[in-house]
Amino acid sequence: MIARMIARAGLRWMDRRLRAAALTREALAKVFPDHWSFMLGEIALYSFVTLVLTGVFLSLFFDPSTAETIYGGSYGPLRGSSVSAAYASAIELSFDIRGGLLFRQVHHWSALIFLAAIAIHACRIFFTGAFRTPREINWLVGVTLLLTSLANGFIGYSLLDDLLSGSGLRIGYSTFLSIPIVGTWVAYLVFGGEFPGDRVIPRFFSLHILLLPALIAGLIGAHMAILVRQKHSQFPGPGRNDHNVVGSKMWPTYAFRSLGLLSAVLAVSFGLGALVQVNPVWVWGPFSPSAGTTPAQPDWFLGWVEGLLRLFPAVEFRVLGYLVPSPFLPGVALPVLMVVALYAWPWLDRLVTGDRERHQVLDRVRDRPGRTAAGVWAVSLVVLLTFAASDDLVARGLSVPVQDYVVALRVVVLVVPVICGAVAYVLARALRGHPGSRLTTMEPRQIAGVLGLRRPEARRPPAPPGPRAERPAVPSEDAPDVVDSGSRHGG
Amino acid sequence: MRRALAILGCTLAVAGASGAAAAPPTPAPETRGRALYGQSCATCHGQNGEGSPRGPNLENSGAAAADFQLSTGRMPLPHPGAASERRQPAFGPRDIDALTAYIASLGHGPAIPVVSRGDLQEGREIFVSTCAACHSGSLAGGTLSSGQAAPPLLASTPTQIAEAIRLGPGAMPSFPRGVISDAQVNAIATYVTSLRPQLDHGGAPLGGFGPVPEGAVAWVFGLGLLALFIRLIGKRAP
Ligand code: HEC
Ligand code: HEC
Repeated sequence: MIARMIARAGLRWMDRRLRAAALTREALAKVFPDHWSFMLGEIALYSFVTLVLTGVFLSLFFDPSTAETIYGGSYGPLRGSSVSAAYASAIELSFDIRGGLLFRQVHHWSALIFLAAIAIHACRIFFTGAFRTPREINWLVGVTLLLTSLANGFIGYSLLDDLLSGSGLRIGYSTFLSIPIVGTWVAYLVFGGEFPGDRVIPRFFSLHILLLPALIAGLIGAHMAILVRQKHSQFPGPGRNDHNVVGSKMWPTYAFRSLGLLSAVLAVSFGLGALVQVNPVWVWGPFSPSAGTTPAQPDWFLGWVEGLLRLFPAVEFRVLGYLVPSPFLPGVALPVLMVVALYAWPWLDRLVTGDRERHQVLDRVRDRPGRTAAGVWAVSLVVLLTFAASDDLVARGLSVPVQDYVVALRVVVLVVPVICGAVAYVLARALRGHPGSRLTTMEPRQIAGVLGLRRPEARRPPAPPGPRAERPAVPSEDAPDVVDSGSRHGG
Repeated sequence: MRRALAILGCTLAVAGASGAAAAPPTPAPETRGRALYGQSCATCHGQNGEGSPRGPNLENSGAAAADFQLSTGRMPLPHPGAASERRQPAFGPRDIDALTAYIASLGHGPAIPVVSRGDLQEGREIFVSTCAACHSGSLAGGTLSSGQAAPPLLASTPTQIAEAIRLGPGAMPSFPRGVISDAQVNAIATYVTSLRPQLDHGGAPLGGFGPVPEGAVAWVFGLGLLALFIRLIGKRAP
């Protein structure tokens, strides 16, 4: 009773100064759509929280320096060896500091999950058209988040100065060097001189624990502020339109759901950290330019670049007298092209659909067969490239020579995504006219209809039904294609 | 160098033979080895180890090669053209000794190296700089650019490690004393055997294959479990 009075008085005192009551009330009443896929981004958010918590612990013990030290800890095979302070402190974290290995492993696992969650969240946004007006800004913020997180993942992995990550760093260095004209300059800027050098680890450390996390945190803040300002998008459904959001309120429903998810993310990360080994740096040994270990892959999120580097034929050529070394095309040019396409997607999409409307209601994946096909093509390409990064392991598993396997992969990487995209296109077209049917319940005649195997009069239904048709047609001139988007898309 | 090894091999083989001859009821290992050889090896390696189109000449292979091939189960090859890889040994230790003694008696090959405890730290350094590029720092083995594979070293005994270093079986280069000294061989064998119990430090080691299975686990057990979780709690509120 008394405690309650004191609490009320305290809160009232605060509110007279902060004027936060109205804001809080509004925040607690914010509505979140009830669809599980809206929580994918939240997995990324809570993984970031886990990363920061465990990262702070690690930074207390990690020594980001390449100074030679004599390791004197409890890992026998290294005792008395002269290694870099960075590597020695990573081994100390793994063997001598209580909880150190657990935190190291949780940090690494949650980094892997963080990027996986971002990737899958981005796919959800893509396939449902959530990036359309007015959400282009948040698409740009999101892509930037993906890239900064990728960079920070790679940098963090490289900090430990072990043989495995050092081999990756060397590949990174030669990839930077391969940029025509400015390559040496860029590589020296990043690495602080020639590889390996003494600067790169301290430099990467400030990037990894200060600059990039601050950037990521700021971008996450902007991402969510924009989300709150623009409100959530939602899937089409009864009672949902472009002017409302149907779902659960922040308080009391959604807050608990979200807290539950935070606990789940912590549980899974710590569970993996406790049970499954990740990056055993004592096994790989300290980096030395003359040594190597096998199998040597980067963490999964850079597998696609590694796959490009492994599959691309080693070609060097000259442009205007400047030598373009072989890692440039697969290591720089193609990834940059992919990133530019990703950034530009909302505008590329609009170019094709001519859709300039403001949207609160999402597309179903089937509504835009062309976009779905493009997305499936890109996703399967990236997945296959990632898969190609493990060519040596798979070749060994299949007992085939790596060279033959690489040749086969080159064909697969070019052909299979096109097939996947085509299949996705046909399936989306087949489903589009039948809002009630799903992939699992669709009938063969729906596909036959798309492929033109049925009687011609049945092939083109007079007006494409489904959620698009429910939407009021936009009368203005700047959206002339919406009404007949079906045929335009099919062309 | 090779000559010295050969002489050492002879003396060892002779010593082994005379030691066994002290017990009259059991036949000399060489005699038993000769019999076993006739049954299991002669079809490919010839009646007296002279070789055939199906298998190489063994006259100067010596005890080290014979012991390595037999104790790792590589020989006898199940059929001509089969891959020479580690298998469950076809013979027990006594039969292996007998066959080894017989093959050693055919000519002047290197003897079985004697391994003792060596310097752990030096072993780590040499292993990581010399062997890990093929066999992996995690002993998981690896793929060679030639299309062959270097096998895992999870089960090799110190003697087999020393034999492999000196002989260079298959696609593996041999490392003579001038490159890796006897003390260094001891060090490597010591390191490899003492690394094994550390391999699962921190949890399931995922085969020692590094980031590829780690990525798979992160997707399936990390994001997979969490996706399941949000599917369950993300259902429409009642
Ligand atoms: C099916 C044919 C076959 C049979 C049976 C066979 N070998 Fe072999 N052996 C081979 C071939 C082929 C090689 C060469 C393998 C290689 O180098 O990869 C070989 C290699 C060897 C070597 C290594 C030679 C060297 O100098 O490196 C030894 C020792 C050996 N065999 C011993 C034996 C013994 C002992 C047996 C009987 C228990 C046996 N082999 C049975 C085919 C056979
Ligand atoms: C060029 C790559 C390469 C290097 C370097 C190399 N090995 Fe090997 N190693 C192989 C291959 C290939 C085999 C399998 C030979 C066969 O079975 O035909 C092998 C086999 C072995 C085996 C037998 C394993 C078994 O299956 O029983 C041992 C032990 C071994 N190596 C130890 C070492 C050690 C110790 C070093 C470092 C001094 C080393 N290797 C360096 C390629 C290599």
